[in-house]
Amino acid sequence: MSRYFRNIFESISTLMTGLGITWRHMIRIRKDNVTLQYPEERWPRPERNIGFDFSEYNIIRSRLQVDIDDCIGCLKCERACPVQCIKIVTVKSGAKGEDLMDIGHTGLTSNGTKKALIVTRFDIDMSECCYCNLCVYPCPEDCIYMTGGPNSKKHPIDYEFSQYDRNDLIFKFAKEVEEEKMAKYLPQKEKVEA
Amino acid sequence: MTIDQLMNWIPFGADWPALAFFAAVLVCALTVFLFIAVYALMAIYGEVKISSFMQDKVGPMGQGVGFHAGKWGLLQPVADAVKLILKEDIIPTLADKKLFIMAPFVVFIGAFISFAALPFNQHTVVSDLNIGIFYILAVGSLSVIGIILAGWGSNNKWSLYGGMRSAAQIVSYEIPAALSIITVIMLTGTLSMQGIIEFQKGTIWVILPNWIIFNNPFSFIAFFIFFISGVAECNRTPFDIPEAESELVAGAFTEYSGMRYAFFFLSEYAEMFVISAVATTAFLGGWNSPISGFFDGPGWGLFWFMGKSLFLVFVMLWFRWTFPRLRVDQLMSICWKVFLPFALVNIFGVAIWSLIIG
Repeated sequence: MSRYFRNIFESISTLMTGLGITWRHMIRIRKDNVTLQYPEERWPRPERNIGFDFSEYNIIRSRLQVDIDDCIGCLKCERACPVQCIKIVTVKSGAKGEDLMDIGHTGLTSNGTKKALIVTRFDIDMSECCYCNLCVYPCPEDCIYMTGGPNSKKHPIDYEFSQYDRNDLIFKFAKEVEEEKMAKYLPQKEKVEA
Repeated sequence: MTIDQLMNWIPFGADWPALAFFAAVLVCALTVFLFIAVYALMAIYGEVKISSFMQDKVGPMGQGVGFHAGKWGLLQPVADAVKLILKEDIIPTLADKKLFIMAPFVVFIGAFISFAALPFNQHTVVSDLNIGIFYILAVGSLSVIGIILAGWGSNNKWSLYGGMRSAAQIVSYEIPAALSIITVIMLTGTLSMQGIIEFQKGTIWVILPNWIIFNNPFSFIAFFIFFISGVAECNRTPFDIPEAESELVAGAFTEYSGMRYAFFFLSEYAEMFVISAVATTAFLGGWNSPISGFFDGPGWGLFWFMGKSLFLVFVMLWFRWTFPRLRVDQLMSICWKVFLPFALVNIFGVAIWSLIIG
């Protein structure tokens, strides 16, 4: 009989302990919360220490970035790409090495090379990219590169470029110019009379 | 307001009393249904949030770009409801179609008609029956028929197990619940819900409100017996062996989807509210304010009633996210070996107490 009452007492006291624990966690949620609201909050990236400074890595496979002002439109990266995920279209600028302010075209690259071509389209489809880095080597102006790592001064690392729509993974680096302004630089089409 | 007042307001009440009665019942039923729907949405939101907080999470938050679940995830229950409405309604080929379709509605009716006798404040009660509490206890066990129908109609062994377990559990826990209500009836001498609340006006032991839970030590125990048996009657964790997802997939609700499942869900939440409201009425003074004589108007009455009931609903959620599920034999032994003897002793205790002191 005493065991019966002891059991009842024990179960009540242990249940109260359990209720107390959940109550404490509930009221201290602001402090104890472990969830990060991901797109807004992120874990800080840990400090790296693998024996040498991370600016000395020779390769990092993150996201391709193009400094379009430096691009001379030589198509070397497009040809190097094994999966054809880079699409470049260029037109002749007519005036080599001169700024064309109305379409935001600069005449000289940061290395001092005179640009003969206007890059009207520079698309990289990151959903097709195989991160082989082969497009980076041939670039004469060092204008296509992987973000972060040794290039962190040019562009901070970006490894989270997830999108809601697959089409948003096509990164467009060419400057967006209105068609009317662009029209005079485009090759004139012969009108065919019907 | 009572249904009689509503009938007096209806202009054609004198000429066609039957029509007026039907109209008044319809108005009350729609109001109650709307109340249940809104309350269920709130309770679902509360459940996801509270469960998350107890597990150190934040629950639905709806941050970020695009259309999410609103600020703090406030639209989450709406999204859940829309999802349940849009889901495919599946009826298994080998199911007993009539019983399968009927079951969710029988379960829901069991919870729904209990609202007819709940006194929300001094004036708002659909019908102030003179056997109110007896009526609620009686119709509260209707839902067991629905669950057995669901279990049998699904033609699925998990469902059948769930239904049989549910029947055993609900029928067993009716007894301690009813016996602890008997202690209340012995003290108040009435079965009417409003009458029971009227009895609990004033103060006792100098400062405590004259609620039946504070009336004597036996009714204090009776409250806990009633409330825990009520949790068991709602099939909530830790007494959710009819649903027992780790043993029986989803028990009696295994084969249900979409709107039919939503009705089971709705009736579970409605039943939680009914149990909490009956516990409030019978033990916690119903719409009486905790400080006698202050905050006493009908508006405050509604506030106190809803406050106490929703607090008890919160306690049920708290139980759910704290306690592990009981085994079938443990469940039965708690009912028959602990609650029943204690409830019987309570009846004698209250009788002797009211002879000597009252």
